[in-house]
Order: sequence, then structure tokens, then C-alpha cells
Amino acid sequence: MSDKDDIEAPVITEAAPVLEDGNSEPAKNSESVDQSIKPENKPEPVVATRKRPESKPSSDCETSEVLPVQASEAAGKEPASKEAPQTGWGYWGSWGKSLLSSASATVATVGQGISNVIEKAETSLGIPSPSEISTEVQYATGETNAKENENSFPMTGAFGVFSTISTAVQSTGKTVISGGLDALEFIGKKTMDVIAEGDPGFKRTKDLMHRNSTLSQVLREAKEKEEQWTTNEVTMETDKKTHYGLLFDEFQGLSHLEALEMLSRESEVKVKSILNSLSGEELETLKLELEHLKEAFSLAEFSEEEEEEKKEDDDFTKEITELFSQLHVSSKPEKLARARNTAYEWIRTSLEKPLEEKEEGEKQLEGETTEQINKNSIEDIHAFAIRSLAELTACSIELFHKTAALVLHGRKQEVTAIERSRTLSQMTVVLCKELSSLSKEFTTCLTTAGVREKADVLNPLITAVFLEASNSASYIQDAFQLLLPVLEISLIENKTELPEA
Amino acid sequence: MEAIWLYQFRLIVIGDSTVGKSCLIRRFTEGRFAQVSDPTVGVDFFSRLVEIEPGKRIKLQIWDTAGQERFRSITRAYYRNSVGGLLLFDITNRRSFQNVHEWLEETKVHVQPYQIVFVLVGHKCDLDTQRQVTRHEAEKLAAAYGMKYIETSARDAINVEKAFTDLTKDIYELVKRGDITIQEGWEGVKSGFVPNVVHSSEEVVKSERRCLC
Repeated sequence: MSDKDDIEAPVITEAAPVLEDGNSEPAKNSESVDQSIKPENKPEPVVATRKRPESKPSSDCETSEVLPVQASEAAGKEPASKEAPQTGWGYWGSWGKSLLSSASATVATVGQGISNVIEKAETSLGIPSPSEISTEVQYATGETNAKENENSFPMTGAFGVFSTISTAVQSTGKTVISGGLDALEFIGKKTMDVIAEGDPGFKRTKDLMHRNSTLSQVLREAKEKEEQWTTNEVTMETDKKTHYGLLFDEFQGLSHLEALEMLSRESEVKVKSILNSLSGEELETLKLELEHLKEAFSLAEFSEEEEEEKKEDDDFTKEITELFSQLHVSSKPEKLARARNTAYEWIRTSLEKPLEEKEEGEKQLEGETTEQINKNSIEDIHAFAIRSLAELTACSIELFHKTAALVLHGRKQEVTAIERSRTLSQMTVVLCKELSSLSKEFTTCLTTAGVREKADVLNPLITAVFLEASNSASYIQDAFQLLLPVLEISLIENKTELPEA
Repeated sequence: MEAIWLYQFRLIVIGDSTVGKSCLIRRFTEGRFAQVSDPTVGVDFFSRLVEIEPGKRIKLQIWDTAGQERFRSITRAYYRNSVGGLLLFDITNRRSFQNVHEWLEETKVHVQPYQIVFVLVGHKCDLDTQRQVTRHEAEKLAAAYGMKYIETSARDAINVEKAFTDLTKDIYELVKRGDITIQEGWEGVKSGFVPNVVHSSEEVVKSERRCLC
């Protein structure tokens, strides 16, 4: 953990009590205590499958309720946060305005800030590792820990929301300018309703605000909720297609994320204990080096290259492969590239269609691809978009996980930790940009295919794609930050020639 | 894609490097045989649904572990949350058979306080001419540890389904009998989500699935 974090974190913790004191939920507290005592009799279904001991916010039930209720409830809570009043939910009202201003702001800084905050908060929570929590007793302790620190979270969440928004803006912003899409209108005016109507991403973002969870927990819970929804609806099969969380899990994104978190936590503990064992000049030198490493972990390049547009198709594959070879880990990004190319291929065929469209009957002639295209309603495009985003994100996180494993346990490295960090941060930028341009492509598809649709049918789908894309980008950035402790330990081990543990 | 299942089991696949763990899993989950594959890095994740009785599905989450020693500290972390395991050796590689014992010892240490239901798998049985481990001695070893023994081939798709399905059925029986129970904080067995229509079947009566807010 850096000093930078230390600066941010206390602020948060200070602000927090104000939030909770007023309407801290005693019911919630007792509820979770209850659960830790007798986990058998839970009132909620989700709890049974949840992985880590946690404060179990009432939002478990909340989330499936009508969202406006949450929004107002949340709004009631947030404004107390003086530090960043505009990032609370009350801020949503003026989202349209903020879009314009933050469009030019550096997404990177915000994005990174949020991860740091989350990371900081996570560690300060001392969320127990799976092996530590094998007994009920320890469960209880974990619960208490979480409880005490819970206060620090609304702020974190607020940042989370902000970063999500600005990432979305990054993609929407361009569309507004170049595509002549009615983006501003739909975002500004309808966002609240649209999102509230049933965007899973919104729920997740909201979840991030309210709880002290790791990224994988948030996603896992989202997935579990989606699972419940889908199994309880007749239209399950079709429904599942648009649930980001379920799809993300299906592509094993959740597992890889958890695995990455595990490696990250272990490394973090090691780094701390090594730092504790050092003193004097040795300590200062190491701290300085770790500081450099952390700098390499910033996503500063994000804004610099932001403008370049429309790359050739192969560029992404080339770029990401190139970056991977610079990492000197033996893992290959082929799977990711394949997933990405499949998405673009689909978009291409999908876009070709509307141009030569008009005569519905004619399409039949073109063989199997046509059959697919034929059915490309806006719902299909939306479903495929969500699926692609989930797959790309899962692949990206798998790559980060593999990278972590190889950095920790790979063969002797020919590159320094700092070089790797720079490469990784570049890679993160590339991945996020890719998600952003992919989502733009998809929304172009949507607008083309949905010319004759009513705005209130089309817009929610477009918004959902943008939102999941921006969420995806946030997940990737957060996952990227999980690599920091891994590279820190790599740096230390390389330096001191510590035998591998 | 079918989202309805009774339970979710986590299975771990372990054994020496190059005995064919990933190939076996890929054959099972993807239905094909990958001729060449890179050594597994750390862990990999797969999943598949298995129908153990008509209408009764179990979702298997399969953890593919690296056989290489250098990843041992990573793979060890996964024993604890597994309910079942396939312990592989290569019938053409005597060394990998001799190491079975060590693998079992290793898991025993790290799985506490839980237990893993293991099946011993003699892999690459299509290469019978190069066999270095007899079926008899493998069966004997398996029996000594209370495991079943099965010989498989990912290349020729021999017994691959059976290896996974039998293990799944065994675990399912243990769960049904209450010898294995779902526990908070343990991911080995989780109950699935069953739509109301199917709810009438007997073992689905689990309180936590009922309430949906």
C-alpha cells in the first residue's frame, strides 16, 4: 500500500461515520450477527451460496425490488458524505451535465483512484482469506471486522460510480460527436428510468457503493441474483442471454478473478511482512522502488492516446500479442484475440445486412450466416453484445490471472518488475479502449437495426451496452490493480534473491 | 445451455505433470482432444452439467491444476473447496504412478477439515503397448486408499464420461445420505437453483432455495 492510498483512505474513514450514524441499520447488524451464529436459518436464499463472510446488507432483497426505492434510499444516505458530495446518488440528477465536463477529464486518474481506494479499503478490512475462515468462530470475527470498517465504503462506492460514469462517457462521448446519435438525449433524460428498469450493471454499481466487497464478490452476487431471476422465469433460456453476470461466470471470469484476488492477497501479505522486517536505509530504498513500481501502475497513457480512432482489425491482436511478448510470461493472449475477432466478425456481417436490407425475403438465400443475420433483431444484437463484453472481460481477467501466476512462479525473469508493470498498464489501456470501441460498434448495430423502433425500446438496450462496457472496463482496471502486489513481491524477490516460498 | 441443476460440485484434478489432466478435462467439457497443449499455469477452470438420473442435473466446476512443482503453492489452495477429485497417473509412466501416494498425502494435509472423494484414474489407456503399470496393481493401490479405479483415454474418448459421472454419482449419494452437507464457507457442494415446477422432487426441499426476495 502506498502513501498515496494512505492519504485517501483516512479521509474516507472520517467521512463515513456521519453516513452511517444517522440511519445505520441496526436491523442489518443484528441480522448478520444472527447469520453468523446460525447460518442454517437464513431468511435469504442468496446467503447460502455466498462465499466470504460479509456484512450482509439488506440490499440482497432490495436489489430485486423496484429500483427507484433504492435510489432514493441511497440518496438519503449519501449526501452526508461531504468530501465528494457530487458523487453520491443525488448526483445522478445532473448526470447529463457531468457527462460533458468529465468527457474531457482523465478517466485514468479516476479509474485508478477508485481501485486504490477499494484496494485500500479492502485491506484495511482484513477480509479473511478462505483458509482463515474455516471455522464459525473466525466467521464471526470476520463479520465484526467488516462491520467496523463498513463505514468507509459509501465513499468508495461513490468513486466507483463516478469512474463508471466517466468510462461510459469515454465511449458515449465520441459517439455523440461523430455518430450524431441521440446519445445525449437518452443519457441525460432517461438514464434514471432506463437504468432502473433492469440493468444489472446498475445494480452492481450500486452494490459497490454499499458494501465492502471485493470485485469478485460483487460479481458473484450479481450472478447469483441473475441465476435466481432466470430460473424463476419461464423465459429463462432467452433471458440468460442478456445477463452479464451469468455469462461472465460461464466464461470462467469469476473463477479467474477469484484466483487472481487470492494471489494478490497472498503477495500483499508477503510484501507487508517483508517491509516490516526491514529498517533504516534498506527500508527507504525499497519503499522508493515500490513507489516507482506503483507509478508504473498508473494508467496515465489513457488520455494521451485517447484520440486515435478506427484501427485496422488486426491491430488489436498484434498490439496485445506484442505487449504479451514484452511481459515475458509464457501465457498467450490467443483466446482473447479470438473472442474479440469473433465479435467483430459478427458485427461486420450484422452491419452489412441493413444496407442491402429492405427485401426481407432475399436474405434467405445467403446460407447459414444469413440465417443468423436474419434473426438479428435489436434484442439479438443486444444479447450478443452483452455476451461479447462478458467474454472479453473474462478472457482479459484470465490473462491477468495467468500473468500473476507466472510472475510469481515462472522461470527466471528477463524483464524487471517495473518494465512488466508498464507493459501491463499499457495492456489495460488497450483492453479498455477495445471494450469501448466494441461497444460503440455494437450500438451502431443497434441504431442501424432499430431505426424503426421506438426510442423507449431501443434506448435501454443501447444504454445497457454502454453500461456493461464501462463496467467491464472498470473490472479490468480493478483486476489490473490486483497485479500490483504481485509485481511488488516479484520486485523484492528479484532484488534480494529471496528463495521462492 | 441449461441453467437448472440440483447441486454444484467442485472437482479438482491432480496428478503429475504431463499425465494428461487438461486433455481429459477438455475431452469431457469440450468434447474434443487437443493434440498439443501448453502446460497449465496455476489453475484453470471448466464447467459442465452432468445428468446423473433423468431430470437430475449436477453442475460440475472442474479445477484443472498445474502438475508442475513450481505451481504447487497455488494449486494447494484449491484442495479445500473441492468435494471430489480425479487423481491421474499415466499408465505409460511408472513414476507418475509412484507419486500417487505423495499426491494423496499432500491433499490430506491441505484439505482439512474437509474430505475429498477421490477416484484414481489411469490415463492414456490407448497406449496399452507402452504400459508400465498393470491394472491389477493400480486397483490394489486404489483399494488401499478406498478409491475406485478407472482407466481412461482422452484421445480415444474411453471412459472419460464414466470417470466424471461415476464420481459425481458417488458424491451425490453421499450428499443425499447426509454424509456430505452443504456448509457456509465451503464451496465443495452448493445447492443449485431449481425452478418451482421441478420443486416437487424430494431432495430439492432445501429451505434456502425457497425464499426469493
